[in-house]
Amino acid sequence: MSGSRLPWVRPLVALVIGAVFFVPLYIALINVFKASGQVARDTMSLPDPPTLDNLTRVLTDPGSLFWPSLRTSVVVTSLSIVILTLLSAMLGHYLARHTQWWSRAVMVLLLCGLMIPPQVILIPVTQVLKSLGLMSTLQGLILFNVGYYVPFGVFVFSGFMKGIPRELEEAAAIDGATRWQTFWRVVFPLLRPATASVLIFLGVWIWNDFLNPLIIYGPREGTTIMTGVYKSLGQYAADFGGMFALMFLATLPILVFYLLLQKQFVKGLTGGATKG
Amino acid sequence: MAVSTTHRRPGTLTRPGSRRPAWPGLWHFLTFAAPGTLVYTCLVLLPIAMSVGYSLTNQALLRPNTRFVGLRNYELLFRDETFLSSLRVTTILTLIVVIVPNVLGVAVAVVLDRRGWLYNALRSVFFTPMVISSVVISVIWTRVLADDGPINQGLRALGVAEPPGWLSDPDIALYSLSSIVCWQMLGFCVVVYLAGLQGVPQELAEAAAIDGAGPLRRFWKVTWPLLAPALTINTVVLLISAFKIFDHVKVITNGGPGTGTTASVAFVVLQEGFVENRTGYASAEAVVMLVVIAALSVVTLRILQRREVQL
Repeated sequence: MSGSRLPWVRPLVALVIGAVFFVPLYIALINVFKASGQVARDTMSLPDPPTLDNLTRVLTDPGSLFWPSLRTSVVVTSLSIVILTLLSAMLGHYLARHTQWWSRAVMVLLLCGLMIPPQVILIPVTQVLKSLGLMSTLQGLILFNVGYYVPFGVFVFSGFMKGIPRELEEAAAIDGATRWQTFWRVVFPLLRPATASVLIFLGVWIWNDFLNPLIIYGPREGTTIMTGVYKSLGQYAADFGGMFALMFLATLPILVFYLLLQKQFVKGLTGGATKG
Repeated sequence: MAVSTTHRRPGTLTRPGSRRPAWPGLWHFLTFAAPGTLVYTCLVLLPIAMSVGYSLTNQALLRPNTRFVGLRNYELLFRDETFLSSLRVTTILTLIVVIVPNVLGVAVAVVLDRRGWLYNALRSVFFTPMVISSVVISVIWTRVLADDGPINQGLRALGVAEPPGWLSDPDIALYSLSSIVCWQMLGFCVVVYLAGLQGVPQELAEAAAIDGAGPLRRFWKVTWPLLAPALTINTVVLLISAFKIFDHVKVITNGGPGTGTTASVAFVVLQEGFVENRTGYASAEAVVMLVVIAALSVVTLRILQRREVQL
């Protein structure tokens, strides 16, 4: 193997590829801490001197969309992923444990939903939400998120259920637990790694979503964080520093959430493995 | 049948105070399955049916009476230069976005398939764009590829008098846009291929090495066939995400430069539906889009899974 003869080749190649790949992220990161004039002049160089002006400007400007849209995004994302986790865990459990033809048909219909582009259904969805009185509301956006992403949750949970022995549920039933108690006290805690991955994926997708909030919640009512970034593009047209600061602040919460849960996810996996 | 008996609690029938209703199966369905199914039906399945319905009408915002027009919208579609051009744009986008991250993904995964802090850190680097919104990615790249951006500054420093207008030249913009999407999707492919590589038994590669196979031959004959499931996942995911690309087009080029040089089908559907407000016509476009993506996914899945089964 060439790697064993020249031990430094692989790390070097890896580093070079990684560095080239990282350039756009580096640009986004360093320009947060540069004066706006310097961003336009030399985008690539390190901030000289580094400044927090851009961040404070975005955080304190009374006209900034940052705080209201942050609040909206936190509410929409957290409610959506909690409801999605609960509903899709229950539905996934039900479909994994019932193998009659109609249950399989429901499964197939749900799996089809994994590939449906939102553009195909958004026009009628606005009609459905209007008739429910939920168009341009947070509840409407959350309801659509739940409907649109439930197939993904069911897919993950029902797949994971196959690894959980049925006997556990039977034992709980013999001990007198109802199905409701069996699910929440015995099965759901065992689904933790699946729950973590559903929360990570859906959290990231819903936080970063642009199209659905733009059509369903905006443009009249309000913005989530990403539609806020989009709408601020004009405002920050000449202020690159402010733009990068806003994008940094909009990305930070979901990045932290991802890093926190990623650990939890690994813990869940290894914990299950040692017990197994 | 066995399923419902295993769940039946002993003593249920003899205990009169039990909350279990007469139809335990129905109650179980209503509490566990109905909420998710109902929301999905109302917000995904019903809208698909409504789209098909709308597509057979001349519904539009400013038209007072909507009427049934049969397949007229579909006839118009295939003579509509905007729509045909969006099909071309989406085909090019899809081809590039399915092939490039797959090829680069395998290569990067093979390089990163080692233990150690360096490789762990690099994996995180490659996955980061997946956690960042396409809107943010698009704005970053708009700056990187701007006419006075860092890439063109670098090219000018190297003596290129007129560096290309990556996003402003109608001949290049679509390829720049595709590259941005490839960059964003690369991390996903790398992670899936890395997971696949961990499933390749070391003994097989060693056996091939003893039989005198070089590194390239070992890769093609041993590793690559065993990565078939990873290839299936990546290809289908890339196919579906390439087909619904909207955010990048909206933020980076808004369909331009020129007329429709980067307007994908997803972009054109929303433009017709929510900007031009021609609901019926846009729905016909949406239905065509749905049929194409369904056919493509099924065919791709069949072909790639057949490859897996043969192993």
